[in-house]
Amino acid sequence: MLAKRVFFNKYSIGTKITMALGICIVYGVFLYTQGANPFLIYYEMFQATFGNVYGIGEVAIKATPFILTALAVAIPARVGLISVGGEGQLACGALSSTFAAVYIFKDMPSFIGIPMLLLAGALGGALWAVVPGILKIVARVNETITTLLLNYVAFFLVGYFIYGILKSPDAYGWPFSPRFSDSLRLPTLEGTRIHIGILIAVAVAIIVWYVTMYTHLGFRMRVVGGNVKAAKHSGIIVERMQFVTLIVGGAVGGLAGVIEVSGIEGHLRPMTGVGYGYMGFLVAWMAGNHPLLIIPFAILLAAISVGGNALEMHSGLNSSIVLILMGFILIVILAIGKRGGK
Amino acid sequence: MIFVTEVLTNAIRAGTAVGYVSVGEVIGQRSGVINLGAEGSMLAGALTAFALTAWTGNPWYGVMCGGISGALMSLIHAFVVITRNANQLATGLAIMFFGQGITAYFGSSYVNLQISGFEPIALPFLSDIPIIGSIFFHHDILTYLSMLMVPLVWVFLFSTKWGVILRATGERDEVVYAHGKSPNCIRYMAVVVGGFFAGVGGAQLSIAFSHSWMENITQGRGLIGVILVIFASWRPERAMLGAYLFGGSQALIVSLQGRGYNFSSFLLFMIPYILTIVVLVMVERTGWNPMPEALKKVFGRG
Repeated sequence: MLAKRVFFNKYSIGTKITMALGICIVYGVFLYTQGANPFLIYYEMFQATFGNVYGIGEVAIKATPFILTALAVAIPARVGLISVGGEGQLACGALSSTFAAVYIFKDMPSFIGIPMLLLAGALGGALWAVVPGILKIVARVNETITTLLLNYVAFFLVGYFIYGILKSPDAYGWPFSPRFSDSLRLPTLEGTRIHIGILIAVAVAIIVWYVTMYTHLGFRMRVVGGNVKAAKHSGIIVERMQFVTLIVGGAVGGLAGVIEVSGIEGHLRPMTGVGYGYMGFLVAWMAGNHPLLIIPFAILLAAISVGGNALEMHSGLNSSIVLILMGFILIVILAIGKRGGK
Repeated sequence: MIFVTEVLTNAIRAGTAVGYVSVGEVIGQRSGVINLGAEGSMLAGALTAFALTAWTGNPWYGVMCGGISGALMSLIHAFVVITRNANQLATGLAIMFFGQGITAYFGSSYVNLQISGFEPIALPFLSDIPIIGSIFFHHDILTYLSMLMVPLVWVFLFSTKWGVILRATGERDEVVYAHGKSPNCIRYMAVVVGGFFAGVGGAQLSIAFSHSWMENITQGRGLIGVILVIFASWRPERAMLGAYLFGGSQALIVSLQGRGYNFSSFLLFMIPYILTIVVLVMVERTGWNPMPEALKKVFGRG
C-alpha cells in the first residue's frame, strides 16, 4: 500500500540524521561563502520557529494551508488520480468565501457566519474541481493536465474580480477586496495571530485518515486506487469514485482558501495563497499521500519558510535564500527517496 | 490594419521566450521525461544571460551561458528522475522552487539595471514586404533564431536516425535497448538539450525582450511552455504556434488598453489555458492520443 512506500518509514533513523546533517553542512558552507555565520543563522532559524510561542504559532499558521492543499492532493491520489489543482481550488475557495463574506453574511454573528463561510469556500473549491472531474469522466482528459491548467484560470479569475467588482473603494487603489467584518474572522488565540484554522486542518486530516482506513467507502477507494479492473469486477463504479474524490479534494483545497482570507489576511488579494497549492503537492508526495503523515511534513516545510523570514531580518541576507534551502532539501529527498518507484 | 500588425508583431515578440521552452520540452518529452523544472531552467538562463551581458557587454556570451545554466538545472532534473527514478512532477516542482530561490538571491543586485542586449534588427529586403515584413522581420536576433530552430528540430525529430531513436525512447525504450542504445543516456541528452532551450528562452526574455532583470521574471512562462507541448501534441511547429498564441493574447491586451479600451485583461489571459483544455478534449474525442507511452506512465493510467 501507499503508506508503506513512504520515505518516512523507509530509512533508518541513522540514515535520516545523516541526510539532515549533510543538508545542514552543505547549506552551511553555502551560507559561509555568502559572508554569514552558519551557526548563528541556524540558531536564529530555530529561535524564530520553535524557540518561542510566537514562532511556534507562526509555523502553525503557515502549516495550515499546506496541510489542506496536501490533503486536496492526497484524497484523489487514493483512487490513483494525480491532481495538481490545490492552487486553483485554494484560489476559488478564497474567492467564493470572499463573495459570501462581502455580499451575504456580512452582518451575521460568528457562530452562523463562520461555518457558512467555510461552507462557501469548500463549495467554491469543490465547484472548481467539478471541471476536471467532468472532463475526466466524460471526455477522458487527463486530470493532472487539466488541474494544472485550471490553476492559471483560477488565478486570473481572482484577479478579474479583485480588479473588478470586488475591489474595495477604501483600499487606496490597491487591488484588495473589502475587509471581512470582524464577526467573520476566524477566532484567534488571545493576543496572537494563531487562529482555529490549524485545528480545522488537523481535524480534516484525521477525518480523511479515518474514512480512508476504516470505512467501507475508504476501502472501495483503495480498491480503485490499487486495481481499476478488480474494482470494476467487484461492482464499484470507478468513474463515480474518481469524480467524488476529485470533488472532495477540491472542497478541502477550498477550505485552505477560506482559512487564508478569513484567518490571516482579512481580505482577498490577487496573490493570496499563491504557491501553496504546489507546496501542498510536495507535502503530499513526501508523506506518500498518507493523511496523517501530511501534518509533520507540512510543519517541516512551514518551519523552513518561517525560518527564512527570520533569516532576512537577522542576517541581512535576502529572504529568497530560504527558497534555495527548500529546493535543495526537496531535491535531496527526491534523489535519495524511493528507488524503483514511479 | 495597423492594429493587427502591431498585435501580431508583439505576439511574436512576447511569444518567443515561451516558444524556446516549449520546443525544448518537445524534445525532452518525446524521450519520455516531463520537466516542470523548465521554469527553473528558464529563470537560471534569464539571470545568467543578464548578468553576463551586463558584465561583458557582449550578449552572445550571455546567451551561451544562459543556455548552459538552463542545461545544468535540467541536468539535476535528469539525474533525479532518470538515475534515481523519482517522481517527475514532484521533482520538476522542486527544481522550479530551487530555481526561483537561487535566481532571486543572486539576482537581487541586478534589479533596476538596464542593459542594451539585443536590439531589434530589420532584415534587409524582407522587412520591406508590406505587413508581413513588419510582422516577421523586425525582431531581435534570438527571435530569428527561434524561427530557424523550429524547422531544424522538426527535421531532426521526424527525418533523422537520431530523431527516430529519441521518439522510440519515449514510446518503447526496450526497442531502443535492443537496438544497442542506452535509453537512459538518450533521455539525459534530451532533457539537457530541453533545458538548454529553456535557458536560451530565459535569455531572450531578459536580454532581448525586457532588457532588465526582476525577481521571478518568467512568471510561470516555463510551466506554460511545458503545458503547450501537450496542447501541441508533441510537435515543435505547433508548440511554436501555441507560444505565439500565448504571446498574442498578451499583445492584444496591451494594444487594446493602449487604445483606451477599458476592460479586464484577466479574462483574455485565461484564453490560452482554456483553449488548451478545449484542444485536449477534442483530441481525446478523436480517440487519437499522441502522448508518448513513457509519459502515460508518469500520468498514472491516464
